Amino acid sequence: QRFRFCGDLDCPDWLLAEISTLAKISSVKLKLICAQVLRDLLGEAIEYEKILKLTSDAKLESGDVKATIAVLSFILSSAAKHNVDSESLSSELQQLGLPKEHASGLCRSYEEKQSSLQDRLKACSLRLSRLGSVCWRVDYTLSSSELQDVNEPLVHLTFNVQDGERGGTAAVPMTLSADKFRVLLAGEARGETLT
Amino acid sequence: MLLVLSEEQKAHLGFLPRVGGAAVGELGRLAVELLRRGAAPRACEAAARKLNIDVDTIQHGVEGLSYLLTESSKLMISEIDFQESIQVLGFSDELNQLLLQLYLDNRKEIRSILSELAPKLPSYHSLEWRLDVQLASRSLRQQIKPAVTLKLHLNQNEDQTAQVLQTDPSTLLHLIQQLEQALGEMKTNHCRRIVRNMK
Repeated sequence: QRFRFCGDLDCPDWLLAEISTLAKISSVKLKLICAQVLRDLLGEAIEYEKILKLTSDAKLESGDVKATIAVLSFILSSAAKHNVDSESLSSELQQLGLPKEHASGLCRSYEEKQSSLQDRLKACSLRLSRLGSVCWRVDYTLSSSELQDVNEPLVHLTFNVQDGERGGTAAVPMTLSADKFRVLLAGEARGETLT
Repeated sequence: MLLVLSEEQKAHLGFLPRVGGAAVGELGRLAVELLRRGAAPRACEAAARKLNIDVDTIQHGVEGLSYLLTESSKLMISEIDFQESIQVLGFSDELNQLLLQLYLDNRKEIRSILSELAPKLPSYHSLEWRLDVQLASRSLRQQIKPAVTLKLHLNQNEDQTAQVLQTDPSTLLHLIQQLEQALGEMKTNHCRRIVRNMK
């Protein structure tokens, strides 16, 4: 059976196996654990002790606690990845055997944070290099050893490129004459009209 | 299959009859620790002080014992072969029994340590991917050119390296097809026969 939140594929076996573990926790506590997992997915620190306290009533072993976090992490990030709305997510989770209150609690947490989660996932997507900043300076050459009256403007540009592979910033300096600079600007303007 | 000990190794192990049975047990433990964690000079010094023998002799003895244990475990020699190999050292029967027991007790663990020493190729860690479509370039407008960019993260001896690759979707499909064919090889009769015999 295909599920939208799994990307129109079958639900993974390990997820099905842990649904019963999720059902052991009360629905109120599950919503609080979801909030913690969402914090981790959004890049803030997860508070593991709070999760342990919330699961202590259900008397889960440490392996089960980790499984719960893994399952919630997968459900929330996969649903955001495939842009599933919260009602569809709720009905699909109920099809998997999660009780109604648990599913609706989970989906309410998801709905609140869906767009920030998707923004975060977009930021984490593969990028090779990134333009950090551009510094510029315009000089005016008065004369040189070759010609007494030059009177030409000169543009210095430095592109600060962030390397996606190794981290760190590299500076790419270049010098252009006025005409070349105009060609560069014209090309950029045309590029902008296409987007 | 018999173990061949060089003259130097026979000399190193030669002092074992001088110390008592308990001491041989202690030296055996040091030899196994040497294999597990590497050299421990302080432990050898402590043993030397306790047994009243100089440190160098103890060190050589421990190294000789660890060589004896690794070679025997590596070749997985039988009890009889082990006993015949150490006959040449001319020890008492009691000492021979002690050494045999030491070998049999630690054989499995030493083999698992040795198996980790084999050279490793870089192994898969994770794969990031991205699908792009090129719509236009400076030279040509109104194109549709899809491309898949992959970043393959590899692990080699606790070093992480990354390889960036780019391909078009039809090459990627071909790649997937080739890999599925490779997996399918496991199901042929030839592979099944070999796997059955290994089990």
